[in-house]
Amino acid sequence: MTTGTIFNIQSYSLHDGPGIRTVVFLKGCPLRCIWCSNPESQLPHPEIYFDKAKCIWEKGCSRCEGVCSAHAIQNGSLNFDLCTNCSQCAAVCPSKACSVYGTEVTVAEVLEKVERERVFYRRGKGGMTLSGGEPLVQGDFAVELLREAKRRRLHTAIETCGCCKSDDLRKAAAYLDYVMFDIKLMDEKKHIQYTGGSNRLILENIKILFEEFPHIPKRIRTPVIPTVNDTEEEIGAIREFLSPYSNFTYELLPYHRFGQNKYEMLGRNYPDLPREVEEATFEMLKKKYVD
Amino acid sequence: MSAIVYSLQEKRILENKKDTEKRASKILAGFQGTRPKIDIERGKYFTESFKETEGQPLVLRWAKALYKYAEHATIYVDDDQLIAGRAGKAGRYGILYPELDGDFLDEAIKSLPSRDSSPFDITEEDAEYIIHEISPYWKGKTFHEALAAAIPEETFRYTYNQDEELTSRFIVNETASFRSSIQWVHDYEKVLKVGFNGIKKEAEARLAELDEFSPLDNTEKKPFLEAIIITADAIILWAKRHGKLAEEKAAKETDPFRKAELLEIARIANKVPAEPAESFYEALQSQWFVQLFSRIEQKTGTIISNGRMDQYLYPYYKADKEKGLIEDDKVEELLECVWVSMAQYIDLYLSKAGGAFNEGYAHWEAVTIGGQTKEGRDATNELTYIFLRSKREFPLNYPDLAARIHTLSPERYLYEVAETIKDGSGFPKLINDEEVIPLLLSKGANFEEAYDYSVSGCAEVRMPNRDTYTSPCAYINFAAAVEMTIYNGKMLKYGDEVIGLQTGEVSEFKTFEEFFAAYLKQQKNFMKHAFIQQHEIIRLRAEHFASPLGSSLHALCMEQCKDIHTPKIEGGIDLGYFEFIGYGTVIDSLAAIKKVVFEDQALTLEQVKTALEHNFEGYEAERQLLQNAPAYGNNDSYADEIGKILDRELLAFTAQYSKELGVHLDLRYVPFTSNVPFGKVVSATPNGRLAYLPLSDGSSASQGADKNGPAAIILSNYATKNYDYRNRAARLLNIKLTPQCVQGEEGTEKLVDFIRTWGDLKLWHLQFNIINRETLIAAQKNPEAYRSLLVRVAGYSAYFCELSKDLQDDIISRTGHVAI
Repeated sequence: MTTGTIFNIQSYSLHDGPGIRTVVFLKGCPLRCIWCSNPESQLPHPEIYFDKAKCIWEKGCSRCEGVCSAHAIQNGSLNFDLCTNCSQCAAVCPSKACSVYGTEVTVAEVLEKVERERVFYRRGKGGMTLSGGEPLVQGDFAVELLREAKRRRLHTAIETCGCCKSDDLRKAAAYLDYVMFDIKLMDEKKHIQYTGGSNRLILENIKILFEEFPHIPKRIRTPVIPTVNDTEEEIGAIREFLSPYSNFTYELLPYHRFGQNKYEMLGRNYPDLPREVEEATFEMLKKKYVD
Repeated sequence: MSAIVYSLQEKRILENKKDTEKRASKILAGFQGTRPKIDIERGKYFTESFKETEGQPLVLRWAKALYKYAEHATIYVDDDQLIAGRAGKAGRYGILYPELDGDFLDEAIKSLPSRDSSPFDITEEDAEYIIHEISPYWKGKTFHEALAAAIPEETFRYTYNQDEELTSRFIVNETASFRSSIQWVHDYEKVLKVGFNGIKKEAEARLAELDEFSPLDNTEKKPFLEAIIITADAIILWAKRHGKLAEEKAAKETDPFRKAELLEIARIANKVPAEPAESFYEALQSQWFVQLFSRIEQKTGTIISNGRMDQYLYPYYKADKEKGLIEDDKVEELLECVWVSMAQYIDLYLSKAGGAFNEGYAHWEAVTIGGQTKEGRDATNELTYIFLRSKREFPLNYPDLAARIHTLSPERYLYEVAETIKDGSGFPKLINDEEVIPLLLSKGANFEEAYDYSVSGCAEVRMPNRDTYTSPCAYINFAAAVEMTIYNGKMLKYGDEVIGLQTGEVSEFKTFEEFFAAYLKQQKNFMKHAFIQQHEIIRLRAEHFASPLGSSLHALCMEQCKDIHTPKIEGGIDLGYFEFIGYGTVIDSLAAIKKVVFEDQALTLEQVKTALEHNFEGYEAERQLLQNAPAYGNNDSYADEIGKILDRELLAFTAQYSKELGVHLDLRYVPFTSNVPFGKVVSATPNGRLAYLPLSDGSSASQGADKNGPAAIILSNYATKNYDYRNRAARLLNIKLTPQCVQGEEGTEKLVDFIRTWGDLKLWHLQFNIINRETLIAAQKNPEAYRSLLVRVAGYSAYFCELSKDLQDDIISRTGHVAI
């Protein structure tokens, strides 16, 4: 039985494809976008996080200290340098301040959860959306999830950064009803600088999707990141690249700092950007480039 | 970039926008936010009349009291109004029902202006009159004194405190003492079609046919029919006095436009409700006279509902439109004139329990729209959409708008319903034909009657000529049963007194099954006492209450010459209920004990008990463990299966015993605002809830326990229902969404999908609060700026700033769902 690692199943999702959907978040991503709002999605394996706000050490709890053989937890704080990710603390924490991002699950387990809300999918073409991380990093697992979902007659969608093996993408597309694909930058050098990887494979993959799977409706999205791509030049280049294609909608997503807290909980530094995207700029870009 | 998306209501408040153009807005501005006054006329004339009619049949006494009121009460035709009639002083007013509370009215009056929630003003002169003339007459005569005397000692312990006023213990709480009837809907259509002259003629004809030698005809039917005739005369006289006043005002009026309006009001008030209505305006005025006079007649629970207004007014609307006599704007204006009249009537509760049940001056004159025709076809029409438009353009908290939904409800209707909900003031609430109609059929209704049901009160339904049960029923605090299971029959609030069953010390429970069985014993014991109460309530009410007006509008009452409050009316369907208070609290408490104590063995039951006794102070780790156990409202079968068993046990009990009472006492989950006072007697519970905080409301999840979004709450509701039992009724469900969730056209679409799915699942009721948490907190801090903020409470919308701090906190603590 195929298994994979997921870090969340989000029910009643309204903004990840048509209708009312359940989103399955697969762990692991080849990119390291500096604005990433899901840092817990990046590494492929389960990892400990520590939510200080939930910790009740000040109210006399120290259950985690007693079980941590690495002595990484003391006085209500977790030293990530010492932490071995053994997750013993999470097992005893009453308030879920210590917890684990990521669990290994089977395809059947995921589908069982997804199907619990299936009555909501029947209206407005809702269904299952795979997200991440990059869901196609776990190619076999993702394809198996989609195949099984289609067998159960669920509407399927994916949110992908496109940085995956083209063959995996082809296999997945055979079971997809809807694709959300991110294009961040056209300039390769800048792409490497801000996302940690080249965009060559990404652009090749989107061509494959458009050319080999023209019937699948697509939503191409660009997160508008201050100082990175919040200019007419960058967004214009993306629109230019898309100009030969059809059967898609284009969307601009505003940069936000919702992920900040999660960096802290994982013991990482938040790569803060110098400023927000100005509302006027965003509206101007939207007006010009979104149909 | 700003992250918060606001609802239309929030925008109006933030921009301090007021619509001053509308006639109704002008009227509203004159009373909004003012403290209500007490008007004593109803109490005065009823008392005077009752003093004169001692010994006569009750229904006749009631009719004569109505006539006295009609003859002497002050008559009002308000400035700017197009609809005549009010039941009390200018501004917001409450009226007296001394037959309910006369014995402690004097004491209550003294404390009214200073009470925390829902205060009232009264003049010194009026207070004196109540204390010396009204209250003394009723001492020893009220229903609740008789009931308290009749209830057996053991049952009394669950019902009242041992004090003068018989305050509620909020364990097994009777609600028959603070109102004369459960929520109700009249057959208004009958008045519109035949008028009260027609009803009078019917009664006269029946009177002439009576067997002059029959003892039954002479002692029962004759006084009933005479009462109907007197009541018809009373309402006609009272209406015509409005006509006279309007004429007098017109004579003095210098503005020619207003003069014409007053003359039209006079013409109509001289015609209806005596004669059949012949235009939309006449029909609406006639309906308003009837419902207002019904308020004078008795205190119906949550106040008399309006029935299917978009159906019975439609023929008049259609005819006027075809003849070119009226425009839609005028229709809307007339409706709004009724809405502002409703808003000025305040449901005055003098008993502490009554006040606590209905915070924020709550009343629910439900107006039903949509649904199906008697033939089972979709019933929406142009008038339906005018009601929805009026709610969007004039978002007042009255009337309570209830939209019936069925599988073939048209798209336009659902979209307009969704758009209206999105405005954010909580209207309309939704009632599901696909659940209600089969249940009514299973209880003996015909298709025709079932298809034609009206929403009544906060979440209930009525079939106006078929429902015959009016006795208010028990509200049962099952969270107290959890407490009694832990403390072996005691509650921390009541010290060493053993109230419930002694089901054993916690140290004796070796398995979850044993603990659960002990809880179920306590639960069943509460039911026993609720049904004993109900037996006495049914037996005693007919000696204390009569309703000749209500009876005149009921086919079965007229046929059998029986007052609607008679315990048994042949051919009627008696739909009573009992109420589960604290459903989420109880399920979560049991699930936490099952998981943490017996499955994970992370705590012992003694440790849980110790933590509870200390209200978790110094026991935060214990509290967190318990709080993080599976909870109801997350579509998690671990908790939901427990909920289903609780539900089933209660259904099985009532399936067995309500037969003995001759009525359907169906399981309901509709709390009004009572989850707050019920919470005030229950100490800390094993779900991590701190002592004396509100219990969960209706069939909603415990405050903040629902972590998987609104679809999960809906599915938990579905999972915990026992569809094989017919002994169920309304389940009230509140869902709070942030405006961002339903933003734009796509948001509307997804809200419609959500509503459709709720319908598919055969759930009974659904209502929304579309609001940002920040707005509620801001309103709490700065009530002046947020006076007009409406929120959904429990089956109704109330001004947030008029609720008690406790209830405000409760609303804030309900999880708001933001879509990811």
